[in-house]
Amino acid sequence: MKRSALTLTAFLLLSLGCNQPPEPSKAASGEKQIVIGVTMMNMANEYIVGLNDAMAAQAKASRVKLIVNDAQRSAEKQVQQVETFIAQKVDAIILNPCEVEASSPAVDKAQAAGIPIVNVNSETSSAPTAFVGSHDEESARLAMEYIAARLSGKGEVVMMHGYMGQAAQIKRDRGARAVLAKNSGLHLLAEQTAEWDRAKAVTLMENWLQVHGDKISAVFAQNDEMAMGALLAIERAKKKDQVIVVGVDAIADALQAVKDGRLDATVFQDAKGQGSTAVTVAVRLANKRPVEKETFIPFQLVTKENAGTFAK
Amino acid sequence: MPCPSDRAVSLSRLRAWIKQFGILAAIVIIAATLGCAKPTFLTTTNLVNVARQISINGILGVGVTLVLLTGGVDLSLGSVVALTGVIAACFAHPGVYPLCVPLILGIAAGMACGATNGLVITGGVPPFIATLGTMTVARGLAQVISDGRPVSNMSPAMIRLAGDVGGIPVPVIILAAVALAAWTMLTNTRLGRHIYAVGGNENAARASGIDVRRVKMFAYTICGALTGLAGIVLAARINTGQPNAGLAYELDAIAAVVIGGTSLSGGAGGIGGTILGALLMGVINNGLDLLNVSSYYQQIVKGIIIVGAVWLDRRSSRKEG
Repeated sequence: MKRSALTLTAFLLLSLGCNQPPEPSKAASGEKQIVIGVTMMNMANEYIVGLNDAMAAQAKASRVKLIVNDAQRSAEKQVQQVETFIAQKVDAIILNPCEVEASSPAVDKAQAAGIPIVNVNSETSSAPTAFVGSHDEESARLAMEYIAARLSGKGEVVMMHGYMGQAAQIKRDRGARAVLAKNSGLHLLAEQTAEWDRAKAVTLMENWLQVHGDKISAVFAQNDEMAMGALLAIERAKKKDQVIVVGVDAIADALQAVKDGRLDATVFQDAKGQGSTAVTVAVRLANKRPVEKETFIPFQLVTKENAGTFAK
Repeated sequence: MPCPSDRAVSLSRLRAWIKQFGILAAIVIIAATLGCAKPTFLTTTNLVNVARQISINGILGVGVTLVLLTGGVDLSLGSVVALTGVIAACFAHPGVYPLCVPLILGIAAGMACGATNGLVITGGVPPFIATLGTMTVARGLAQVISDGRPVSNMSPAMIRLAGDVGGIPVPVIILAAVALAAWTMLTNTRLGRHIYAVGGNENAARASGIDVRRVKMFAYTICGALTGLAGIVLAARINTGQPNAGLAYELDAIAAVVIGGTSLSGGAGGIGGTILGALLMGVINNGLDLLNVSSYYQQIVKGIIIVGAVWLDRRSSRKEG
């Protein structure tokens, strides 16, 4: 079922690509259209879907063909997909890695086959030809600094982690702790993983409210899904006026909640910037043009004041 | 019509009571320990909290108890929760349709999944394979319908399904109603006895004139309907229909059922045990969260309890047998 859906997707993209007029310079030299193989971490994740949309738009603008595969969170599947891209002799590969270590063989294989590979959004321990993404530490730092400012550097904070051991979790944890270390008045009251999941976050927040009651002054959730879950639990307990809730990613739901004044803040990770830059870099590499080894797209703090400018 | 397995039924019921008493004792001991370690645990608000948190797993557990009693299994629960939640959420935007529309469509979608399972299984495909297929198809459908994104903007009426009425959470009231209805059906109707008979010995049941096909269709369809209900409650609880919600919920539900003493090979067990099984899992999850124990250890504890409960169960039935 999933496989046939994939084949169908690939077919649709292929036929889309075929309908495009060839790139003028290419047509003149009689070369074939550039083909880029893309493997995405997990197309059930809203942010990753946004990233994919941005890539598709940029590919259309640059008149290149994308073959998009969904690794469905499995690094092993991702390695297989890259092997298939190599066999298909694509001109470049864009890898949105599932895991730091386990997705690394994909990078090594592409490098060995002489095909340029661009990592987007997350890192692997093997060095790709180029990296396009954001400093995840920065997102957590922005969120925690906002909490510190709102609390004037004094208060009890709880933190919800993502999947333990994932690059984003490790870095957002590091960024948050760096701010906590600088503010001796901020105390980490409790921390636990809710696995990026909204339903798990509701349950965890309910339990925290039971045990810590009125002590909690702020919640930092490492993504917006969990922040929305925490927010629901706090609103149901009628304690929102006492607790600041901040997330990361600026998904549509969270942006709306910030606009409505329910969620205090989120951090905008630029899916559009990451996706389009990744395609641009991959096209340059396919044309054997020089590129920046690393491109960092900055994060931005979103509060009620500027939420309107991030509309989706 | 006299039922040949009536004696077996009453025996297994007696056994189930003994087992349930064992779980009840375990729950009391664990609750007392948690209460000493963290006095907050035994407050009324926290106990209400635990009840609210087990309600989704409990509703799923009641449904899958019927399926396990016939000797089958349903692996599609988690995906169907996501699918029905997404469908309900699509029709629950404020001011478009009355609340009954998302409710009926969500439950109907769940029933359709369950009936499909039943048809494929009575057609000769093993339950494990049939429901594995439905699990994958339902997840894909949920993603297609929602375009991979959470479906939000839910009406206040729908959200109230996860709220409280007179201090009692609505999901708990739903669970209680569902459990009571299923318990009555299993213990006081002929259909209930037939479910036990089919799971105890399918050939004997068929020989005594029971329509095995109909009994199985009923079990899977009702399980599907309850899964749809659980999907709606989850969507209300998290204010969205999430295509990636409900991952591995089937395993938690099956765990609650087997901890509660229902046999995986069918024919023995019941609703009371399932509710206690769900309660035990909920108490442990809540207690360990209150104690700020890492989720790593929570998984280890859960795993040991599942295997331990079934091991004790096997030992006691061997002695009695």
